[in-house]
Amino acid sequence: MTEPDEEQLSYEAATARLEQIIKRLDSGEAGLRETLELCREGRTLVELCAAELEAVGRGLEELRLEDLVARLEAGSGAQGA
Amino acid sequence: MSEPQARPEGIAGSSLRGPFAVGRYAAELRDFLRARTRVQLFGELWNLRVSRTKLYFELRDADGALPCSMWRNEFEALRLGEGALADGAQIVVSGGLDYYTGSKTSSPSFSFAVAALRIAGEGDLLAQLHRLRQALAAEGLFEPQKHLVRPALPRTIGVVTGEGGKARDDVLAGLHRRGWEGRVVWGFAPVQDRHAAPKITAALQDLAATGEVEVIVVARGGGSLADLFCFCDETLCRTVALLGVPVIASVGHHTDRTLIDDVAALSCSTPTHAAESAVPVHCGEARAALTGSARRLSVHAARALLHRAQVLARLSRAPGEHIAGERRRLHQRLREIRAAGRRRIENERERVGRRALVIDRRVRAEALDALHATRLQALAMALAAHDPDRTLERGYALVSDAGGDVVTSAAAARRAGAVSLRFSDAAVDATIRADDDDRA
Repeated sequence: MTEPDEEQLSYEAATARLEQIIKRLDSGEAGLRETLELCREGRTLVELCAAELEAVGRGLEELRLEDLVARLEAGSGAQGA
Repeated sequence: MSEPQARPEGIAGSSLRGPFAVGRYAAELRDFLRARTRVQLFGELWNLRVSRTKLYFELRDADGALPCSMWRNEFEALRLGEGALADGAQIVVSGGLDYYTGSKTSSPSFSFAVAALRIAGEGDLLAQLHRLRQALAAEGLFEPQKHLVRPALPRTIGVVTGEGGKARDDVLAGLHRRGWEGRVVWGFAPVQDRHAAPKITAALQDLAATGEVEVIVVARGGGSLADLFCFCDETLCRTVALLGVPVIASVGHHTDRTLIDDVAALSCSTPTHAAESAVPVHCGEARAALTGSARRLSVHAARALLHRAQVLARLSRAPGEHIAGERRRLHQRLREIRAAGRRRIENERERVGRRALVIDRRVRAEALDALHATRLQALAMALAAHDPDRTLERGYALVSDAGGDVVTSAAAARRAGAVSLRFSDAAVDATIRADDDDRA
């Protein structure tokens, strides 16, 4: 079984893999060792998805394009310094 | 309207005539314009509005425009039918300049009073739009945006729209419906007529260049096609087509189709719908589904652990059960071997018994046979002892008469006269003589 790359996994890829895992577990075809591995992988994916949902659930933030650009320039300037 | 006021003093130092009352000047202006030469004009019809008594529209070409009006009854007398005056229609009008002087409660307006109208053909702007659409399609510029991956749950959404427009509120309403509370970056730009295109293009490029924005919504409410024409700008559309960030367009109503709708990743009928499309996942439902998934994982994990514990317990009991099982199997085997031994001995015994019986019977038969032989021999000897031939061999002779009857006395022999004497080896005839009676 391949371990998911948490660094690059998008929300949709994570949810798709999670659905796959649940389906496999629900089928009852997975052996003991595979079940435990799938549960471990599934929990990691749940945490990842929860973090993504948390990031878009903290309250709407509105800013103008020029403010974002200024913020990014200030950030890159601070890094450069 | 109050009565005209007394004429005030003019502007000091001005060499111009007046001041005149505006209403009078307006009436003179109207008369002046009406006196101008009546002409025929041609151009594209845009922004048609129909009131109870009049039609209003603009006559345009690439160099300029003129507001026009026409009495509704005169237009209806032309019997052109509904839809004949679509935006961009090429028309020829005849008439002359007019000026409505207005009143205290109505605004003045200038227009070209149309007396007659003829449909000339499809508008240049629409034809130009059609050619540009075909050219962009031929270059494959409708495709690149369609192949971009739109994130299901973007953290940052860019929006290009007019700062004071209703579309802004509609976008926020759409995002609210999705339960999405991420970061919105507003790229405000004018969204009216073709001069707005460069600013919309710049806003799109700047949003994409931040590297933070994952999807961009371009939104504008309804309007005439002329109002929306900035979204058909070639540079803007080429920019969108080649942008690395997916663009969702919602320009005008669903009946309008601008070029940006063709090149964008997705075209939506309303800004609200565009905002909802920018966040395909409903955040509330996604949270509920995730909670469900987590619960199911826990159930499966607990079940698996319980199963593992049961397996381990079974394994820990296994050696003892294995030995007991082996013991049971050995005892069983032993019992079977003993039973088989007993059965074999019984069988052997039976077989030996049968053989002994057979032998005994044979021995008995042989003994009986010997006894019979002995007795037979004795009988034979007894019989031989009584055999007359044996007696004859010892010197005796058997006397018989002519009839073969044995003659056992001398008297009988005399009576017979002739007798036969049988010795052991042969018989001889003899005659009994009379003197033989004397010897007796």
